[in-house]
Amino acid sequence: MCHQTVSLAARHLEENGIATIVMGCAKDIVEFCGVPRFLFSDFPLGNAAGRPRDPESQAFTLQLALRVLETAPAPRTTVQSPLRWSTDPCWKFDYSNIERLSPDEIRRRREEFDRQKEIAKTVRNERTAAS
Amino acid sequence: MSERDAYPGFTPEDDAPIPYIQRIRDYYQALGYGAPYRWAHYAEVPFQPPKKTLAEWRVGLITTAAPYQPGKGDQGPGAPYNAAAKFYRVYSGDTAVDHDLRISHVGIDRTHTTAEDSNTWFPLTELRRCAAAGRIGEIAPRFHGAPTNRSHRTTIERDCPELLARCLDDRIDAAILVAN
Repeated sequence: MCHQTVSLAARHLEENGIATIVMGCAKDIVEFCGVPRFLFSDFPLGNAAGRPRDPESQAFTLQLALRVLETAPAPRTTVQSPLRWSTDPCWKFDYSNIERLSPDEIRRRREEFDRQKEIAKTVRNERTAAS
Repeated sequence: MSERDAYPGFTPEDDAPIPYIQRIRDYYQALGYGAPYRWAHYAEVPFQPPKKTLAEWRVGLITTAAPYQPGKGDQGPGAPYNAAAKFYRVYSGDTAVDHDLRISHVGIDRTHTTAEDSNTWFPLTELRRCAAAGRIGEIAPRFHGAPTNRSHRTTIERDCPELLARCLDDRIDAAILVAN
């Protein structure tokens, strides 16, 4: 939901006069929504601002985002960072990939998902009651 | 070599951006949940051409990360998904001070990354360097936290207007929104 949330927020800010750039790792979700400017890093989710413990890649990524913010010629401008997570693309095969899960693991994940959903519902209700 | 073979120098065909929408659809259907999620999708996209140079801009930062909450379970690094750490209202923080923000409440890639370094999802330190170097005019006085919600209605009708109101109060020219 993260990428969708920031994409919707970027659109709303832009409609109201504030220039925006989305930094993200889920290309299809951001482009499907449609945003003014997007810096795409082809990294595992959670690393939209650069590689962990790699200040150089973090500085490069933010500098590139600022360049896109400054120079995008039109809406739906996507720039893909030239940085690579790894020369081996096998990390891309794992995320939520049902073909890689056994029936037991699918069952376990379903139970865990339901459990987390219940926790989220409780937290939401508590916060709503408190506000 | 036929046309079916990779020309020398081609990267493997599956070395392409992950098709998350399809992956997530297949995943939840296999887990037994019914109709697939309807992702936000627009034909028209707004665009605000810059009126000033970047060196004159006040730049804001928007994150989906959550403040660390003691007593709310493992929030990382390396934490499993933790719904107890979620938040449901827009929050703001002072950009002049450091913050302990975590991402255990969202669906990051837990196989290939551990959320050990918050600079990979919250680039405030780097943005300060850009301001000090004169690359941007200044950083907004506050950053803002955006709740991630499955409900389009909640995001569009409640959270986006709240984020906009706070950004207008901050009088920013531009915003950097970092997804997880």
